[in-house]
Amino acid sequence: MRIAMLGWEYPPHISGGLGTASEGLSRALAQMGHEITFVLPHLYGGEDAPHMRLLDTTTGVLVESDGTRSVPDPEKFSASAQEILELQTRIGAYSYSRFHDLLECSQFGDGADFEELRCAIVARAKALAHALGCGDSDAPYGADIFEEVDRFAAQVVLRISMGQLNAGNRSAANFGVGDFDVIHAHDWMTFPAAVALKSLTGKPLVVHIHSLEFDRSGDAVNHRIHQIEGLGIRFADRVIAVSHYTASILRQQHTVAADRVTVVHNGVYPQQVQQSYRRQGGWHSQMVLFLGRVTFQKGPDYFVEAAAKALPLLKDVVFVVAGVGDMLPQLQRRVHELGIAEHFRFPGFLRGAEVEEMFSLADLYVMPSVSEPFGISALEAINYDTPVIMSKQTGVSEVVGHALKVDFWDVDRLAEMMVNALRYPELRRDMINMAREELRRVRWESAAIKTDLVYRELDQNRSVTGLINGGEVTMSRIVRLV
Amino acid sequence: MYFEVHQPWRLRRFSILHPDPTHHYFDDDKNAQILRKVAEKCYLPANRTMLELIERYQGKFRISYSITGVALEQMRAFAPEVLQSFQDLAKTGCVEFIAETYHHTLAAVYDEAEFQSQVFAHNALMAELFDAKPRVFRNTELIYSDRIGQLAADMGYIGVIAEGVDDILQWRSPNYLYEVAGRPQTALLLKNYRLSDDVAFRFSNRGWADFPLTSDKFASWVHQVNGNGDTVNLFMDYETFGEHQWADTGIFDFLRHLPEAIFRDSNWSFATPSEVITSTEKRAELSFHRITSWADVDRDLTAWQGNEMQQRALHEAFGLRDVVLKHGDPGITAAWRQILTSDHFYYMCTKWFADGDVHAYFSPYESPYEAFMNYMNVLNDLRVVLGLEPLRR
Repeated sequence: MRIAMLGWEYPPHISGGLGTASEGLSRALAQMGHEITFVLPHLYGGEDAPHMRLLDTTTGVLVESDGTRSVPDPEKFSASAQEILELQTRIGAYSYSRFHDLLECSQFGDGADFEELRCAIVARAKALAHALGCGDSDAPYGADIFEEVDRFAAQVVLRISMGQLNAGNRSAANFGVGDFDVIHAHDWMTFPAAVALKSLTGKPLVVHIHSLEFDRSGDAVNHRIHQIEGLGIRFADRVIAVSHYTASILRQQHTVAADRVTVVHNGVYPQQVQQSYRRQGGWHSQMVLFLGRVTFQKGPDYFVEAAAKALPLLKDVVFVVAGVGDMLPQLQRRVHELGIAEHFRFPGFLRGAEVEEMFSLADLYVMPSVSEPFGISALEAINYDTPVIMSKQTGVSEVVGHALKVDFWDVDRLAEMMVNALRYPELRRDMINMAREELRRVRWESAAIKTDLVYRELDQNRSVTGLINGGEVTMSRIVRLV
Repeated sequence: MYFEVHQPWRLRRFSILHPDPTHHYFDDDKNAQILRKVAEKCYLPANRTMLELIERYQGKFRISYSITGVALEQMRAFAPEVLQSFQDLAKTGCVEFIAETYHHTLAAVYDEAEFQSQVFAHNALMAELFDAKPRVFRNTELIYSDRIGQLAADMGYIGVIAEGVDDILQWRSPNYLYEVAGRPQTALLLKNYRLSDDVAFRFSNRGWADFPLTSDKFASWVHQVNGNGDTVNLFMDYETFGEHQWADTGIFDFLRHLPEAIFRDSNWSFATPSEVITSTEKRAELSFHRITSWADVDRDLTAWQGNEMQQRALHEAFGLRDVVLKHGDPGITAAWRQILTSDHFYYMCTKWFADGDVHAYFSPYESPYEAFMNYMNVLNDLRVVLGLEPLRR
């Protein structure tokens, strides 16, 4: 099938597991014969995606699977300058708050009123004018994430109107808008764009939940994000959750029928351990690693408290907290307060080879997450022959049996596991040997097979029609619609 | 028919951050609870049925038990009525008690001197509780090798029970009596695992072609051995009755009707192991070129010592013997032997863990790693008690 896949990040420029999962799943889907256009707000160069087409909505740069890059040619753009001007003007006439009113009303459901939809799209597209003018932005998580999210939705509308968003094998120049079969959207940041796309094209929408606001923030849920999640889920034909754990939270947090939700566990591609990373002579300390965002969700504070309890029973051990996040200063203060600073290292945010090196060097990887929809980094640790302690509040614990598992709040237990794992190399070796065996079954190929089944079950002949369904879609038609 | 009766002293969760100052290693509540549950579902009803059958057939229904010392200790502590019911069975004269290691350990493989101590201890307990003097030996989980057969022979046993392992038997049948390699006077009885497992494992399996298994059907399979064997040795875990196969599967009815079905062919009767040995001719020497057991499909020791954790734990635990005996405290010696029980190592088995099979089912731990960590914590504490490790605050 031809898939318009909406994502937020792509390796190597990633902030977490979302980008890694986007790559893994798309690769395996492409291997099954699916044609994918992966749409995201920014490309940074260095993306390696020979299996699909990448579309940077901000610049309009389209990278074909063979690496050829093209920018939109104004000559071939079906809208005239007059039309663009008209679009900008008309968009500006709508109130920005209109979209949020709609969200508040939560009137969306199956067979939603298209008049309202249209308003929603218009509100999304309000930012279009802004996007047309302002070009690039540095960080994927900007100062105002909502602005980023809005802009992405508007840009997607723009790109589809320019004939750039498609997943067929015809060249971009001759391509009809909406020439794809499925919209597949990864996490809430892409949901407004996905809803706009579905409304325009009438194509079935699959939303993929890698993480919920509840996971990231616990009880301090951001209402707006929660609403946008709800919007995507209500508009979706099918919902994919990365674990049973996430599916159950999804059911608690949002109204969604169980038969619309499918669990597709993430996978991992086997990797060769770089022996060169193995420690050089002279370094005898054992190393316990925390790697991830230093935020509430990841439970770094439990890591520190457990380390403090474990340290008196250990000699010559270093605890590494690799990552950045809002809890970092507080964590560093706490380490001093506990008098264990000499046993701690804070190398900051690591990427690519640094991550590989860190995993290879570690004797033990600890993932004490408070709420982790999946936790792909645990699979990466195993890939680098590093045994894992994971909290039970993780999706990955559903697929990895050969790990130590602990409730995130049980600091004593976590400390004991750290001590035992460091004390007994036999424990580490048995665990990693079995876990590696187990990992052979946790493949992206199996994730793609399950996702493919979800696609097949989508009803292609649903009664819902898109605003621009049928006929050639041009900028002028979209302008007329709004 | 012979039945294994065993319960390990399960360990309590032992913390290294907050070690128990009384150095108590066992989960008394859980052990009591499990023993009482098994007593209710299996030991008491099964013993009642056995007594009933012995009385009904006036000496013709004969069975044997291998009851471990650690199981008897727990019966004494938590369910004395179970011990009494075994003693009642002993008094009928139709029940034979088989020798083994008191603590159900792998001592035969790790420390021969310790092995002998544990067998002697079990002998003494049989005399004390049942006024019995076992003449036939079976090792923990039918762990057997030529060496183990010879050890038992040299301790005076007239026979040893082992698993009828295919790659050892090859073309031979388990339904004959063999000689222990190098000890022609000592008999080797082999478990017929097909017929034994038909009852122990497959009885309630609805996917099995021969489901449901009736006493008549089973007896006819036994009768088919006519002319192709001298004995059919059915060995199984006693918990088959009521615990592994629940009462509502009809397992007790099966047992109740088995004698009359077997007696329908006059060539067949029930006998205890020593009766089989004294009444049957040994056919040939049978040598075991590897250590076998009745566990899993592998019929080897990998369930107890297949991974590095198990090997380390076994090695360290058995390695404490000299220090423990020299220390001389009977409480510490008892605790040390109780933590040698093979189950503790079985819980650490990783080979089938992720498949959630029988190993996981019988384990009180969430994972083999938990089993190992807890065991090592206990062992570490024992080393502290023995003065081998410094005491931490």
